[in-house]
Amino acid sequence: MSEGKKTIKLEITRFDPDVDEVPKTEEYEVPTEPGWKVLDAVNYVKDHLDPSLSHRWSCRMAVCGSCGMMVNGEPKLTCKTSLDEYGDSIKVEPLANFPIVRDLVVEIDGFMDKFKSVKPWIIRAKERAEDMENLNERGTYSQSPDELSAFKQFSMCINCLLCYSACPVVANEPEFIGPAAIALGHRYNTDSRDEGAAERNEVFRGEGTVFSCSFANECSEVCPKNVDPASAVNQAKLGAVVDWAKGLILPRGGA
Amino acid sequence: MKQLLLKIEPIIWLLFGAGLSIGTMLLTGFVLVVGLAIPLGWVPADALDYERAHALASNLIGRLFLLGLIALPLWKGAHHLRSISLDFGGESRDGAVGSLLYLLAAAGSVAGIVAVIRI
Repeated sequence: MSEGKKTIKLEITRFDPDVDEVPKTEEYEVPTEPGWKVLDAVNYVKDHLDPSLSHRWSCRMAVCGSCGMMVNGEPKLTCKTSLDEYGDSIKVEPLANFPIVRDLVVEIDGFMDKFKSVKPWIIRAKERAEDMENLNERGTYSQSPDELSAFKQFSMCINCLLCYSACPVVANEPEFIGPAAIALGHRYNTDSRDEGAAERNEVFRGEGTVFSCSFANECSEVCPKNVDPASAVNQAKLGAVVDWAKGLILPRGGA
Repeated sequence: MKQLLLKIEPIIWLLFGAGLSIGTMLLTGFVLVVGLAIPLGWVPADALDYERAHALASNLIGRLFLLGLIALPLWKGAHHLRSISLDFGGESRDGAVGSLLYLLAAAGSVAGIVAVIRI
């Protein structure tokens, strides 16, 4: 609040697929108000300087996960990043490691498939065979506070994709299913109501999943919700290995 | 080759994890004792004279400890070097690089086994 009004130079990546061969950078002078976030400055450009600017945003309170952008080279949730953290010149680019659709908007279709691959839903052994028609009689699955806290942190992910932008493995190996997807799978593996860990661990032992991670920890550094995906990935590695060792000792389905 | 490496990845990762722990904890303690505590006289100089050290090293626990100290960090190093190769864009050569590094670690481990048997 102590900071007064000031004008900053905002450099924004522009790309129109119909006209441009490669993305280019445009400069804007933005008069800012105290307390503004980076997103406010980008919105100012859209509202007052150039309505053709395309960028994604919605909730402005770090819940929807749509306003992730590179701010001075670092993946940031722009609604949560104060202008006070920067000087008079800020560079805003689309999230790294994703194809650009237009300006600050990136293509995220492949990411949705990665999410699905870890079976992010509660799997119950019984439901597969019987019991489906008795769903109402059986009631809900109760859970203690301890059981909840075992996975709650991993369920806080808002799919903002900052971790994919920060991950050096994603940069080299685009087919890597990545931090958020593995954290999501691990969230269900650590849920006391779930009985599908064996299925997910089989996914985790496949190509381009947990063992591709080299534990650079960048995902956890940039995560705006403190999910700590790096920890999830490495716990998932252990889970996948223990499950594999069990498979050697016990016949399938024995454990 | 890549598929084979993927198959044995759980074993490799266990050896890597064990090597990481050994490297950071046991090796540090080892260096602390042999490199600092004895030269600086924090423990009596004859605490690890030849007879005592040999007796310590040649019982079963001592042999296993030394084998861990020799072999496991090799797997850690091999796995790290493979990661570094990948970080430098070595996706296409990963099968060959990984196999070579793990073969070296395996050869070092075999040498370690021979060495601790011959103590």
